[in-house]
Order: sequence, then C-alpha cells, then structure tokens
Amino acid sequence: MIALKRVGQAVLVIALAYVLVFLVLAAIPGDPVSAQLENPQAGYSEAEKAQIRSFYGLDKPVLVQLLISIGNALRGDLGISLSTSAPVSSTIGEAIPSTLALAATALVFALLIALILGFASQSLGEGRLGGLVRSLPTVFLSTPNFLIGLVLIQVFAVQLGAFSIIDPETAGSTAFAALTLAIPVSAQIAQVFITALDTTTALDHTEVALSRGLAPVRVFARHLLRPSLLPTVTVCGLVVGELLGGSLITETIFGRAGIGTVVQKAVTSQDVPVLQAAVVLSAAVFVGVNLVIDLVLPLLDPRLRAPREAS
Amino acid sequence: MTSADTDTRPDAGSTTAGDTEHGTAPLLTVEHLRVTYGERAAAREVVRDVSFSVPAGSTLALIGESGSGKSTIARAVLRLLERRGARVEGSVRLRGREISRLREHALRPLRGRVLGFVPQDPGSALNPVRTIGSQALEAAALVPEARSRAAREALVREGLERAGLTDPERIAASYPHQLSGGQLQRVLIALAIIPGPALLVADEPTSALDVTVQKQILDLLTSLQDELGIGLLLITHDLALAAERSQQVVVLSGGTIQEAGPTAEVFAHPRSEYTRRLQADVPGLHPDRFADLRAARDLGEGGGAPPATAPRVTARDITRTFRSTGGHEIRALHGVSFSIARGTTHALVGESGSGKTTAARALLGLERLDAGALEVDGRTVDPSDPRALRALRRDLQLVHQNPFTSLDPRFTVGRIVREPLDMYRVGDAAAREERVSWALAAVRLDEELLGRRPTALSGGQRQRVAIARALVLRPEVLVLDEPTSALDVTVQAGILEVLVRLQKDLGLTYLFISHDLGVVRQVADTLTVLRRGEVVEEGEAVRVFADPQHEYTQRLLASIPAHVAGAERTTRTQSTGSTGSTASTPGDGILEATA
Repeated sequence: MIALKRVGQAVLVIALAYVLVFLVLAAIPGDPVSAQLENPQAGYSEAEKAQIRSFYGLDKPVLVQLLISIGNALRGDLGISLSTSAPVSSTIGEAIPSTLALAATALVFALLIALILGFASQSLGEGRLGGLVRSLPTVFLSTPNFLIGLVLIQVFAVQLGAFSIIDPETAGSTAFAALTLAIPVSAQIAQVFITALDTTTALDHTEVALSRGLAPVRVFARHLLRPSLLPTVTVCGLVVGELLGGSLITETIFGRAGIGTVVQKAVTSQDVPVLQAAVVLSAAVFVGVNLVIDLVLPLLDPRLRAPREAS
Repeated sequence: MTSADTDTRPDAGSTTAGDTEHGTAPLLTVEHLRVTYGERAAAREVVRDVSFSVPAGSTLALIGESGSGKSTIARAVLRLLERRGARVEGSVRLRGREISRLREHALRPLRGRVLGFVPQDPGSALNPVRTIGSQALEAAALVPEARSRAAREALVREGLERAGLTDPERIAASYPHQLSGGQLQRVLIALAIIPGPALLVADEPTSALDVTVQKQILDLLTSLQDELGIGLLLITHDLALAAERSQQVVVLSGGTIQEAGPTAEVFAHPRSEYTRRLQADVPGLHPDRFADLRAARDLGEGGGAPPATAPRVTARDITRTFRSTGGHEIRALHGVSFSIARGTTHALVGESGSGKTTAARALLGLERLDAGALEVDGRTVDPSDPRALRALRRDLQLVHQNPFTSLDPRFTVGRIVREPLDMYRVGDAAAREERVSWALAAVRLDEELLGRRPTALSGGQRQRVAIARALVLRPEVLVLDEPTSALDVTVQAGILEVLVRLQKDLGLTYLFISHDLGVVRQVADTLTVLRRGEVVEEGEAVRVFADPQHEYTQRLLASIPAHVAGAERTTRTQSTGSTGSTASTPGDGILEATA
C-alpha cells in the first residue's frame, strides 16, 4: 500500500522533470534549428526552412509541442538528434552500458572505502591515527576529480602499465576510472557513516552492550553497524547524483564513450532532444534509486515498518 | 577496607574472591576515587576522593542531584568511563580484586558475569533494530554452562519470567519500540540477572517510569536481591526512594561526599547542611511546606483577590479519540469534567497515557475535541476560531514541562520574555521593558540575566524564564504541564514556591498537570485523577489524600516512597535490626522528618 504510493510519487516526479526540462529548453531564446537555418552560408530557401521547422514540429505552439513530445515519449520515441540525425533512444542506449559499469563499480568501491574508514574510525580511537582516518574524507572531498584521474593514469597506466589508456573498455581501465569516481563519493558516504557511528557509540544501548561483556568487534557488528546504516543508506541515494555528474569528467579523462560524453556533445551542439532524454534519464535513475532505498529502509529498521500497537 | 595488599595482585584468584564473599571483605570497595575530564588547565574534576563499600547482598544508595557525580561513580565502577575520555584514579575492588587498572580483555570476563548494569532510560538502553530475544541471548551466552542454543533460550525465558514478564516468548520476539517503559525496564533487569552477577549497578532504574510501575520495578529488584543475594549499588536522586530501599547511603554534591552512613541514621540525624536541605525539599516528606503561603492567599493577604467559588475554568464531558493508522482507536479523553475555582490550583493527576496532557492541550486550543466543551470565564475554547483563540490566549498561558527544549537557544532571556508582548503589541518599547523587568522580578530572576541565552542558564533558571514568559501578558490562568519534572528537588522546591507566591500575589488560577503526587499534595486545592482518559476520582485534595476511594488512587498514593516507608516500618525494623542500628529505622527517619 505504502510501497504503491511511493511508486506513484516516483513516476510523478519523473513526469514533472520531463515537462520542466521541456519548458526550460523551450524558453531559451533562439532554438538550435533556427540558428542553423538562419545561417546564410547554409543557404536554405524559405520553403525548405518551413519544411524543416514543421518536421521538428517547431511551427506549432509550445504546449502542442509538449503534448506531442509526451505522446512520442510514451511510445518510446524520444525524437531525432539534431546533430547526428540518429534516433535519440539509440544514441542514449548505446552509451548506457559503459556508464552503468562505471557508476556501479564506483558505488561498490565507494561503499567499501566508507566501510573501512568507518570501522577504522571506531577502532583507532581519538589518537593520531584515528585523527588521520577522520580527516581522510575531507581530503578526498576537496581533491578535484580530474586530478585524481590524471594521477591514476600517470602512475598506473603510463608508468606501471597496469591498464591500457588506448582501450578504455577493459576491466582494468574501468576499475581505475571507477576508483577516480569513487573517491569523492566515498568521502560523502564515509562522513555520514562515521558521524552515525559516533552517535550510536554515544547511545546508551552501546554502553549497555559493552557492560554486558561483549567483545568490541561484536559490539561494532551487532550494536553499532545496523543502527548506523540508516543515514548511510539514505545518503547513498543522494550521491547517485554525484556519480552521474562525476561520470562526465571521468569519462572525458579516461576517453570512455558514456552518457557523460553524450551529454557533453549535446550541450555544445545545443542538441535539445538528446539533452532532454539525458536529463530525464538522470532524473529517472535518481528517483528510482531513492525509491528502492525508501523501500529497503524498513527492512533495516523495524521502527519504520507498519506500526503495530504498542502496549 | 583492610585488604589493601590485594592492590598489588590484580590477578588474585577466584578462590580469594569466594572466600571474601563470605568473609569480612565487602563485595565492592571504592577508595579515593577521583575522576577528571580534560587535560591540565582545562581539567575538570567531577568526582573527588570518594570512598565507600557495598557488602554482599545489601544495598548502598548514592544520592545526589544532577551534576553531583553519582552516575560518573557508577560508570567508574563499571569501567565505562575510559571510552568517554575520563581519567580515573583511586581503587575499585570487586571481591577484593583490584579492577580499576585491569586491561579491557582481562576485565571482560567480569562484565555481566560479576558486574551487572541496569541503566537509567529503558527506552534507549536496548538496540532499537534487534529483537529483545537476540539481545538477551548475548547475555545468556555469558553463562558457561549454557552451550547449546536451546539452553540459552531456556535461560532467557527463565530470566524474563523472573523479571515478572508473563509472556516471555512474545517479549523475546518483540522489538524495543513495541514494549512499554515498564516492560523494557524489566527486560533490562532480566538481561542483567541472566548471567548471575554478584553486584548490580542500577543507575536511576525507575526515574523514567510511572509511579505505580516504579514501585513494581523496585519491589522486583528487592525480591531478586533477597532471592539471589545480589549486592546493589543504587544511584538515585530520590531521597525517599533511597530511604526506603537501602541499608547504606552516600550523599554526594559537586563530586564530593557530604555524608555517609547507615540509611536510618543519616535520615534520622542528618549531620550535613546539604542533606538537611535535600531532605527538606523532598515533596513527599513535607506535604504542608507551602501551607502558610496558601493560608495567606486564602485571606487575600498577597494583594491578589482571595479564591472565589465561581469557576474560572470549566471542562464539561470533554472527549477526544485518536485513530492510529491501523484503524485502532485510542480514547485519550472520555467524558472528563472538572472545574477550577478562581485563584486556586487544580491538579490533573495520572500516569502516561492517562489523557492529562491532551486535556491541557485542549484547554489551550491546541487540540480539537470530539465532544464536550471547555470554557474560560464563560468563553468557549474553539480551535476553529483563531481570532477568539488569540484573544483567549492572552489570559491563558502555558509553562512547558522541559525548560531545556522549550526556550529558543538563539534568543536572549530578554527577547524570550518580551516576545508575547511583541506578538500582542502591548504598549510601547518602554512599557514592554518595564513589563519584562516586572516578570523577571516576579520569578525572582536577576535582571543581569536579560542579555544571556538559555544555554548559559541552569535548569531552574530556565524554568523561571519560562514562567516569566507566561506571566508577562498578565494572564488569569496558567497551564503548568509537569513544570518541575525535569528538575532536581531543591530546584523544584524553589519553582513551586515561586508558583505558590505568584498565586497569592496575583490571584492566578492554575491547571497543574503532574504525575508526582508528592508535589500535588503540596500545591493543589482540588484534583482529578485520570486513568486511560477517564476520571477515576476527583475532589478536594485534602480529602483525596486522606481518604482515597478508588483502588487506583490508593495504589498511586501507595507508590509515593515515603508513604511506603511509613507504612512498612514495623517490618523494616526487623529486617534492618541486624545492621546494628539502634537509632531508628528508615521509616522512623521519614516520620521524624515529617513531624
């Protein structure tokens, strides 16, 4: 029941994102088609111009264009790219696997790094080493993405030859690209995770568990970890945006043909249909991931499940 | 005390421990305990040179107000302070064995098995995302004989039953948030006793619970102690409770011992000024504390009009039902009626879930009623008419329960108190300032505090600010929602006195919400006892306290610890006779103090 409602809300958000992107792009003065058509060097006749305009539906009022666009999108037709004349769905579709592999690997790396930092922050205490671990997320966060990528390429690809920069789709190359993307993302997760662990450590039940004679590792696994996962999982949903945004830079540095590259090209050539599809895809991923997280949280925390009468 | 030589032998064998248990050495000995937080210049000493000992099978109570260091001492004994960054000096010996310098892995076998802990707030002392059963199994795993899961489960069942939980299977399958506070505290006691400890450290084990539940939990601890021969280190702020439940007391203030000795002696003849004051401020021991002030009020001596019989506030058959998401109905109020005469105090008494807070919220127009009506001076409280409500609220102000959350931390005291005047646009700036000064003076706060923020104030000062804020509009009626329950007894006594004086001087009418019958007896003229949204008993406070009609009221009254101590003094005389105290019993101490 609640799950159904959440799914409905998610669909609504994606639909609104679609409309919003359409309206914003429509509001930008001088659409890309007109810019090309008015170019005197292109030498289109008035009749040709009118034909091209009507092909793209630009002669109709904006609202009608919107309705047509929505109708087409529902049938799976996302339009034709302005710059390559290929269907948008295939342009995006071809780029998805590469980006998906990159983002998924990066997320796994980020979670591993955050988990290790979290455990270290609790077991190393307040000393110098503990302080170092606690400052790592800030360092990660303030290091530019491209710098990490360039250093990794210089050290591991050029000097050590650990992966090839010529063929970006090999496992090795993907792994290092993912690491580049994972480091700033892991920092955000780790910051929340460490704070949550600190909060849980200060809670009564942790102290009581300790007084019960449990070994520190058990206290961490059974009394610290799960309560601290709640905010951490929530933040994972928010860093998805970071993953998508960061993939643009990472793909450029590592020469990968992914969504990021497609978006970059679409922006420079004002390719509205591609841009629109990419933005809506990002929105859909973001909303989808957060929907899954919302549905998973009650499994982690019984207090979020459907309320049973307290006695 | 004589086994100082064991200090150098931290690994004294368990045989020694067994011998000393039956010998002269006490179960727990604390000597010259000193606890410091922070380094060098910023060092803060929170416990200073504290020594005491707990014999096996007996109870020692550490009494003190917040900040006295009593919980810190409990955690020092449990060795839970190092993780908080505290420095602990001195000696803590358990069955003669020095444990204050044991390494964590050497100490762990003692945790749970010898040294049990019953924490303060049952609501937060269990892991919220795991079932009671899985946490209880951790405690059962400490018992060496219980090797199989079935044996551990049997131990859990037995422990829960012993703690008075009649349905152990259901409890074990529940999550903490599905149980009541009383059930959770029983669970925590069960978890503590399952491994069979020799010493239980109970840190305010009942202060988060309703009075009737409080009594049940204390009875349970006492009976378990008799049954299992456990030594009990009881941390409490409640003097009457200590008097009733302990053989020895240590009175603490500011981290140092003010007084220590057999409970009966300390209460019968308190030697320190601090203990005397503490004792004088316990409401349960001094029902007539404000009798003079209230008599003056009745004669109209304070300047306020003497109480009249005409009602200022009337509640007629008020009913409010909440519906939970599951469609389940909770009757918060069901046909409740009461009236408050002008210039008097009416108490709504009840435990959590009794509907007393819902009634107060309804009177303030914060809660819609399903049926019935509330009137103030003949004006109906109608939440759907914001304009009338706003006019009404000028005469009707609230003092909230918790002064630590009810004041905006970013506002200065001056701004907090002035805010209602700004909202109602009373007078000009100068007039408002004058009003603020008057309100601060009325609650006996220094004007120096005007520029301070709440974080720089003590709990008592904060609650005075909250009262000043309520007073500044010169309302006729104050709704006091548990105004002292978050405060220490001495602070509470000060706040109550301010309230009684204000009533005398200004002719205020109070609706006093409380679960504390000791406080109610001191200040209320009339009262209504609520249980699960229904009126159980009502009438003149004097009559209800002298001659409670309903069984529930009788039970509530019986849970005032001092009351019990008085009633049970003959049995206590016999049981404590062996301590060698000929001076008096705890019960006598209470009665003498009352007389």
